[in-house]
Amino acid sequence: MVHALQEIRRILVPGGILIDLRPVADHWLVEVATAQDSWEVGRVQDLPAGLADDAAAVEALAYMSQAGWFVLEQTEIFDFLYYWDTPEEMQAYISEQWEDFIALPAEVLTNIQAIWANSATGSRVRVRLKMLIAMWRKRPVN
Amino acid sequence: MTLLRDPEEVETRYLHNLSDLAGRRVLEIGCGDGRLTWRYALAAGYVVGIDLNPISLLKAQQECQPDLRSKVTFALANSLALPFPPKLFDVAVLAWSL
Repeated sequence: MVHALQEIRRILVPGGILIDLRPVADHWLVEVATAQDSWEVGRVQDLPAGLADDAAAVEALAYMSQAGWFVLEQTEIFDFLYYWDTPEEMQAYISEQWEDFIALPAEVLTNIQAIWANSATGSRVRVRLKMLIAMWRKRPVN
Repeated sequence: MTLLRDPEEVETRYLHNLSDLAGRRVLEIGCGDGRLTWRYALAAGYVVGIDLNPISLLKAQQECQPDLRSKVTFALANSLALPFPPKLFDVAVLAWSL
């Protein structure tokens, strides 16, 4: 990661901007949602690979900052929602795309299936990701 | 399967609020199928999206709207060895890729 940050520094103009946009592990909420309402059903389980990725990113950015390559100007946290039509579609996506990063506990899946089955037609299930966006500015060459 | 990702476009609002991309030369690292690219490319001056997944890049190229083709380019490239000369871009976006 540090080498990639060094490369980014190389291709940016002096004073150029680096935007770091990524999800961070935080036991994301699983919800059932209609057009009007939503219900929190449970949380996903964070797995070691996702936690290790977050830690490696923090470590690389700290190195970059201490080396004087970039200065952090602003950081924000926001929610990013993934929606599926059914609990089974959500479960399949998590298993196929995020299998190393999060797991859906069996009791959460059971609960969301029950709540979704009893909710209004057109209800969806969703996962609320915690997102980080940070703006760094390239420092002049020392 | 119907999958919706951020239909409220919260990510887009935060991206635009955090940085002014108007007229900027932008490198997007980890552009994938262009999902994020389409949300700011019109404002940018020029965009290069890179990714390691050729299938995603092909989809991005196919879905590029005619009015963006003159200012958006996609390339198979690794962030560990960026195939660009120094000081070419105003903004680099690490799109879910750090």
